[in-house]
Amino acid sequence: MEIGDLTIKDIASRVKRNEISANEVAKFYIEQIHMKDPLINAFLYVDEDGVIKRAKELDNLKNKKGLLFGVPIAIKDNMNVKGLQATAGSKILRGYIAPYDATVVQKIKDEGGIIIGKTNLDEFAMGSSTENSAFFPTRNPLNVEYVPGGSSGGSASAVSAGLSKAGLGSDTGGSVRQPAAFCGVVGMKPTYGRVSRYGLIAFGSSLDVIGPLTKTVEDSAVMLNVIAGFDAKDETTAKVEKEDFTDSLGKEIRGLKVGVIKEIADFNVQSEIMQSLKVSYSKLEQLGAEIIEVSLPHLKYALPTYYIVAPSEASANLARFDGVRYGLEGEGENIKEFYEDSRTKGFGSEVKRRILIGTFALSAGYYDAYYVKAAKVRRAIEGDFESAFSKVSSIILPTTPTTPFKFGEKKSPLDMYMSDIFTIPVSLAGLPAISVPIGKDNKGFRVGIQLIAKWFDEATLLRVAYALENY
Amino acid sequence: MIDLEKIEALSALKLKGEEKEKIIKDLEEIIEYFEILKEVDTEGLEPLIYTKGIALSLREDKVTESLDIKYIERNRKLFGNNLFRVKRIIGE
Repeated sequence: MEIGDLTIKDIASRVKRNEISANEVAKFYIEQIHMKDPLINAFLYVDEDGVIKRAKELDNLKNKKGLLFGVPIAIKDNMNVKGLQATAGSKILRGYIAPYDATVVQKIKDEGGIIIGKTNLDEFAMGSSTENSAFFPTRNPLNVEYVPGGSSGGSASAVSAGLSKAGLGSDTGGSVRQPAAFCGVVGMKPTYGRVSRYGLIAFGSSLDVIGPLTKTVEDSAVMLNVIAGFDAKDETTAKVEKEDFTDSLGKEIRGLKVGVIKEIADFNVQSEIMQSLKVSYSKLEQLGAEIIEVSLPHLKYALPTYYIVAPSEASANLARFDGVRYGLEGEGENIKEFYEDSRTKGFGSEVKRRILIGTFALSAGYYDAYYVKAAKVRRAIEGDFESAFSKVSSIILPTTPTTPFKFGEKKSPLDMYMSDIFTIPVSLAGLPAISVPIGKDNKGFRVGIQLIAKWFDEATLLRVAYALENY
Repeated sequence: MIDLEKIEALSALKLKGEEKEKIIKDLEEIIEYFEILKEVDTEGLEPLIYTKGIALSLREDKVTESLDIKYIERNRKLFGNNLFRVKRIIGE
């Protein structure tokens, strides 16, 4: 078996048993990057010397332990890895070197993982195609004329093309699940508060969740085992008991109630995706699950709600980029001009658009009509999910309304925003969700089917996802 | 409808030329799209700021390690007593 075909568990256990060396694994993946990444452009930076040095250190350890021992992991470039660049895909952070490790990165290192490089993204994670990266777009490895999705398009395409065993992304409104669907891999957004955000460059603080991109549901569960947990450095992490998320994999799903959403009929969904959804219903039924129709009456209001809430939070979060302490330094006669010049030169158009929308929604005279109104609708959306989850233990719906689109195809911002209509409601409610590749479209792309579970019930989420994946 | 000059000033941005025109058009379109939210009856609903299971907790107030200054220096040259140099703010 080739190294690329092994699971995370396989690699870690073989390296620990000295059947293969961490150095061989690292070299294999670096070679894959040399061969394929010039076309795909998944990585903004590959730490070749650091990777080989780290692999040799691991090989020299007497006591080899850790869930990710010798496993290469790609990190989206909006997370801090000490000593490496962290640009968030923006010119304003070009050349910025992270002074510390994000908590998730520290946890990966503690389990013997190897940070292979930093992956491309839409600037500050704002976008659904990686076309908003200030550096270059990433291509979809399944067909390079198409976008890989976004904003975690770099990590998704790296995993899909076999350039890294797993990757981390961040998901604010779908930025892990949507690129996972487009690249034919598994992408999970854990419950808000399950994973520390310390060291993640903030976008929408009440929505941002770090999640894994992997080839399989089992790999996803292993990654969650590594990154989950309370962190004193992020006061929004939940104090919940540690569990082994691989325990529920392979358990039968007979008798579980899975919700299908009545309102899906109101949306314009590509026929092959509806087809894959129906195939998934029948697979679940054949496995003994009970399919029950549930209603999310406020589903269609999720997108406008999100595009008020997320930019509002972003406008506050991105105020810190002023050119003084790090990043692009502008020019100006006085401090005001200096700030304006640094920010105007440093941010791209989509980021500016969102800062302006958010500032508008929070400004005097508009705050109640926009921000507060949206926060109340968000409460209604949460209520919809609460009542649905009183009847079922998971919900199934498509990850995206279409399979991948071509570069430049989405002309207006609103057109682009539409590709997240099924992931955004879940983010607003803070629920855990996973995208699993099921079926294909007529161009050969995989279709991503999304499962959602109750707050902090990733065990059920992974159990159903595993059953569907391995049917 | 929106006072772009004011919003720009609050955002510390200064748009120019084509980008400015395009962004004004986009903003108008996007803000118009928000109108649909008026349909939702939100009477009696509390605004949702943080999602379920999140009890904001404060850590104990004790001294912990801070960032290594050499990494801060790599991102911006420091002047004087570990201070950042900025444009003059007072005395204009």
